[in-house]
Amino acid sequence: MGQINVHSHSLSGLFSAANSRLKPGMLLLEARLEQAGVLKKVVDAIKDLVQDCNFDCNDSGIALQAMDNSHVALVSMLLKSEGFSPYRLDRNVALGVNLTSLTKVLRCAQNEDILTLKAEDTPDNLSLVFENAENDRISEYEIKLMDIDQEHLGIPETEYAAAISMPSAEFQRICRDLIQLSESVSIEASKEGVKFSCSGDIGSGSVTLRQHNNVDKPELSTKIELTEPVALTFSLKYLVNFCKASALSSVVTLSLSNEVPLLVEYAMGSGFVRFYLAPKIGEEE
Amino acid sequence: MSSVGKKRRIIVLDRNGNRRETESDEDRVPHKKVKNDTLEQRRARSSQHTKSSFEEDLGRLTQEVNELKTGGQEQDQHWPRPNLPESWNPGDEDLIFQQIECDEGTFNGKTTIQLFGVTETGHSVLLHITDFHHYLYVAAPIGFTQQHLQGFRGFLEAKLQNGLEPAIAGVQILLRQNLYGFNGNQLSPYIKIDVTDPKLIPRLRSLIEHGDANYQKMWPAEDGGLKTFDAIQYVMRFMVDTEISGMSWVEVPAGEYHLVGRREKQSNCQIEATVNFKKLIAHPSEGEYQKMAPLRILSFDIECAGRKGIFPDAEVDPVIQIANMITRYGESKPFIRNVFTLGTCASIVNTQVLSYKNEGEMLLSWSDFLHRADPDVIIGYNIANFDFPYLLERAKNLKLVRFPYWTRLGHVKSEAKDSNFSSKQMGNRDTKATNTDGRLQLDLLQLVQRDYQLRSYTLNSVSAHFLGEQKEDVHHSMITELHNGTEDSRRRLAVYCLKDAYLPQRLMDKLMCLVNYTEMARVTGVPFNYLLSRGQQIKFISQLYRKAKEQKLVVPNLLPHGGDEQYEGATVIEPEKGYYDVPIATLDFASLYPSIMQAHNLCYTTLVKKGTCDRLGLQKDIDYEITPNGDRFVKAHRRKGMVPLILEALLGARKKAKADLKKATDPFEKAVLNGRQLALKISANSVYGITGATVGKLPCLQIASSVTGYGRQMIMRTKEEVEKRYTIANGYTHDAKVIYGDTDSVMVKFGPKDLPTAMELGTEAAEFVSQKFITPIKLEFEKVYFPYLLINKKRYAGLYWTNTEKHDKMDSKGIETVRRDNCRLVQVCIETVLRKLLIDQDIEGAQTYVKNLISDLLQNRVDMSQLVITKALSKSDYTAKQAHVELAERMRKRDAGSAPTLGDRVAYVIVKGAGGAKNYEKSEDPIFVLENSVPIDTKYYLENQLSKPLGRIFEPIIGDRKVQQLLTGDHTRTISVSAPAVGGLMKFAKKTETCMGCKIPLTKKEESGAAVCSDCESRFGELYQKTVTRVSDLEVKFSRLWTQCQRCQGSIHCEVICSSRDCPIFYMRMKAKKDVVDAGKDLKRFDVDISW
Repeated sequence: MGQINVHSHSLSGLFSAANSRLKPGMLLLEARLEQAGVLKKVVDAIKDLVQDCNFDCNDSGIALQAMDNSHVALVSMLLKSEGFSPYRLDRNVALGVNLTSLTKVLRCAQNEDILTLKAEDTPDNLSLVFENAENDRISEYEIKLMDIDQEHLGIPETEYAAAISMPSAEFQRICRDLIQLSESVSIEASKEGVKFSCSGDIGSGSVTLRQHNNVDKPELSTKIELTEPVALTFSLKYLVNFCKASALSSVVTLSLSNEVPLLVEYAMGSGFVRFYLAPKIGEEE
Repeated sequence: MSSVGKKRRIIVLDRNGNRRETESDEDRVPHKKVKNDTLEQRRARSSQHTKSSFEEDLGRLTQEVNELKTGGQEQDQHWPRPNLPESWNPGDEDLIFQQIECDEGTFNGKTTIQLFGVTETGHSVLLHITDFHHYLYVAAPIGFTQQHLQGFRGFLEAKLQNGLEPAIAGVQILLRQNLYGFNGNQLSPYIKIDVTDPKLIPRLRSLIEHGDANYQKMWPAEDGGLKTFDAIQYVMRFMVDTEISGMSWVEVPAGEYHLVGRREKQSNCQIEATVNFKKLIAHPSEGEYQKMAPLRILSFDIECAGRKGIFPDAEVDPVIQIANMITRYGESKPFIRNVFTLGTCASIVNTQVLSYKNEGEMLLSWSDFLHRADPDVIIGYNIANFDFPYLLERAKNLKLVRFPYWTRLGHVKSEAKDSNFSSKQMGNRDTKATNTDGRLQLDLLQLVQRDYQLRSYTLNSVSAHFLGEQKEDVHHSMITELHNGTEDSRRRLAVYCLKDAYLPQRLMDKLMCLVNYTEMARVTGVPFNYLLSRGQQIKFISQLYRKAKEQKLVVPNLLPHGGDEQYEGATVIEPEKGYYDVPIATLDFASLYPSIMQAHNLCYTTLVKKGTCDRLGLQKDIDYEITPNGDRFVKAHRRKGMVPLILEALLGARKKAKADLKKATDPFEKAVLNGRQLALKISANSVYGITGATVGKLPCLQIASSVTGYGRQMIMRTKEEVEKRYTIANGYTHDAKVIYGDTDSVMVKFGPKDLPTAMELGTEAAEFVSQKFITPIKLEFEKVYFPYLLINKKRYAGLYWTNTEKHDKMDSKGIETVRRDNCRLVQVCIETVLRKLLIDQDIEGAQTYVKNLISDLLQNRVDMSQLVITKALSKSDYTAKQAHVELAERMRKRDAGSAPTLGDRVAYVIVKGAGGAKNYEKSEDPIFVLENSVPIDTKYYLENQLSKPLGRIFEPIIGDRKVQQLLTGDHTRTISVSAPAVGGLMKFAKKTETCMGCKIPLTKKEESGAAVCSDCESRFGELYQKTVTRVSDLEVKFSRLWTQCQRCQGSIHCEVICSSRDCPIFYMRMKAKKDVVDAGKDLKRFDVDISW
């Protein structure tokens, strides 16, 4: 009898602890995402560039902005609050997350699961709840948060001389093909089209895309808006890395201006992932 | 009274160049020294310079030198040597001097030996030794008799064809024995061939060895050639045969030597004479002849005006200053101190300042100074690879034909030659060698690199290490700036240069290099300069030949056959890893390998073949013994080995030196004796190595492998004996256990928990086991480790006790505290952890310490000097890419001048790189990192540097699981990442301030540039106060560091210009400077908040 009591007591203790953590009143953040797949893809796209990063949560949504270690590329991500239902936030908070750990936890979710992010006031942990509608399974995970003291760097918005939108799969293919030949690619945008070219030890290659409109499938069109011709060189290693975000959107936009970082944007219904990449100048790496 | 008045006048006139000079000159006549001092002091005060501490040192020097001054000694700042007394007459006086260099020379067209030296009265000597013939041996064929000698001589003469001069000086039959192998002590006939000129020896040797000198086909044609015996250089041959050892005293009685006439004089030595080698008396370095002659030691340093970013190049960049200090051996202070400067230079206390308008003029007068001061030893820091070649190259460019004569021989020019030194002990080094015939050279850099393992070998860090004193490290671009400044800035440079010239002298005194090397030369018998330019082998060869001559042995000329035959090395008893909190006694074999050779009579001469044993009817274990390797050596009653004899002599001499050392009271005598016992020990231990070196001249693997074989046997035997005797069954409280053993020591856990009992048992066990072995093998109980942490083979740490009162030190082997290929952070961390574990026995505290350290590391709070890793750039092409090599390459692209070159140690830190970047791509120059605040890859330091050694230490104590916690626990979750000023994107990026309270980016317009967000407004006061405190703390820190550096540079009124990469303070200062600026910016942000 007594033994059972002790047992039940400890069990209820466990529950109460768990409950208290999940009690809605104490929560600082609660954000419910219809499809866990969105977050999975986002994290997959950026985890190779950034390892530890703050998720800045504010009224407009959950944002992340960080440079890669060598400070050649910058990732900027926003999941707008509209994309969540509900999105509840008591006050602004920065959640320091190790993306490797987050990836591990997200692997446990299926793309169709409903995902809820929760954090307490002065959080030590971020909890993730995956609900599967089909078989009524609820999984709960927590990852330990980090206190990351990082300077917040951004790229000021600029008017670009050229904006190219194209199918993201096409862009990914071009990058993957050209990296076989060389480490860097030069992108030339003119009225006729956009030319990706490279030359390496074994030879050279180029791919030119003309402007065209696919009426049936607008996402397969290539559009070029141009105020002046642009030609810049970039590291292919990074571009291939950016292409991991192709799963997020079927269309990618490349914005270029001479002597300004390249902007690669994958727009989602309720947010975006943007990559900035510094151009290669002369012999510099 | 009047002098006071005059002194005042001097000050008034001080700013009035010429007039001051005349006034003071007038004054100076009566009391020269006093005047000089006060003048200098006052001048120092009147110019903007306050005296640096080094200048105070300089000031003190004269006074002390003056106090030292007695009778016949040197006068302060007086260049030439004392003159020979008028009464000196070669007919009446014996010529006794200490020879310092022994070289091959010529006199009257004949090859001679030149002995350079110094007499006790400080006069320089060059003695030409004539009529010493070089020779070799060849085994006489059967049937070769006295009658054949004449014919053989003619035959050789014809073969050698030495023009008109006869080539052969003599042919003799002598009874000798081959060094290798025991042959029943039978002497056999050998032909000794003397040649008239040592240069003929190689030709003669190859003639014989190629079988081209087979006189009347008397030698049976075996593989075409013949073996020759006694292949040794002329100089060594001479020294062996006359029993002269390096740096020893020699004597020629009055009347036996002939002074060389002024015309034929080759040198600028005060006494130059010729003598027949038979008249030369060699004094063994004992008793009275242990003394040293008053050698003059010149220590110098040059400064060159380099251009920005380029290392000085002798083609373009002038030499601007040369500082010199000359000390007499035995005196602690230099009696000549001067500096040669290009351009004017404000005067420096107690130092001659010699200013020149023209560089060529300055160099020539320096060369002149060298001649007049006539030093016997020239020392400096990196003089061999930098100063000497630079001066020579520079003089060549300025076409100063008269300049490069630094030798004692008037007609011999000093030239820098490239040489490559490679040995197992020191690795590969490209060096330059400059000849200064008759003057010894000691480059302190080479010496320290050779004898000490340090993290860095700059003069600064070496003096910090040995003298506990730093100097300012002025970057070479700064030197030009100072040079182009005023006479006061040049004065500052001159003081710096003087210090660089003085430090090598002090290092040499402190390390007693001259004494120790002199003793080494005396003990082993080789000339002094061989010790630095040659390897270990020559020392042993010299001793071997000396002994071989006594025993009528001849040494075959073995051709090095580069075979890499391996033999089994020492044994290691498998360690029982763990943390022991009971005393562990350590039993050591004293000089194990030498004593094995002695005990078992292992030698070239006692090695015996099975066939020979049978032939001579030798009996096993009575006449010979079979070593664990199956080799046979005869016992001492059949023939006492020569190697054991050499060892006996060495170890006996060492014992004697140690005994004398105890009795000695005079510090110089003590130094000499201590140097001697050290030299003896090193020599004894090197014998084993030479027998095992197959590339060497005297390999004998049978000896080497037998030695290790016996060694292994003895260690196992010791283990057995100890474990057999100390058991509960035998009435002891515990069963003893040998927990580890390596090469020549075993660690025993006797069991009792108290020190005295363990020590008693240790002493007893050592005696007990010693009895089981042949003398002189002796097991000694030396120390107890308590507690003891045994990590693995050759990796352990423990508290070292030799008495029961207090532990002596903390000892660790193979643990990262001593290794150099990791950063200081690891060293400090491991040391602290060990101290906490072993001394405080506070396991909890050690863990807390590690946690705090890791969390500091991840938050960038660890000082950068702690993270610097240094590695030597030892060869130009590495097959595998390595961090330091890649960095050196990148630095060369950035600035070819300051980039590290071959042989330098490269300092680097690991910075964050792009995803998947290799470690070698992530290395970066620490200064570059500081200047651009490149983020450090803290994870690398945690995972690749700290985790393994920490794991190894903690695992035996707290277990695997807890170690993981230690490395990845909650304390690793706070990190800090700095934003660099470099990187492709940085020039485009804009920084958004984050809230100081909650780290949220302040993106709203009204918040931008402010300190806190609207949510944290309530914490405004708290955060403001925190920031203010931080700023003032940082300011205090910076000021302290700045003052520290000012003290180090010796002047607190000048700006700090030091950029020493070895100095932790330097990195701290740079970081503190940046921190103050950054924190100041943070503080300003609060102003924005107030305004809204």
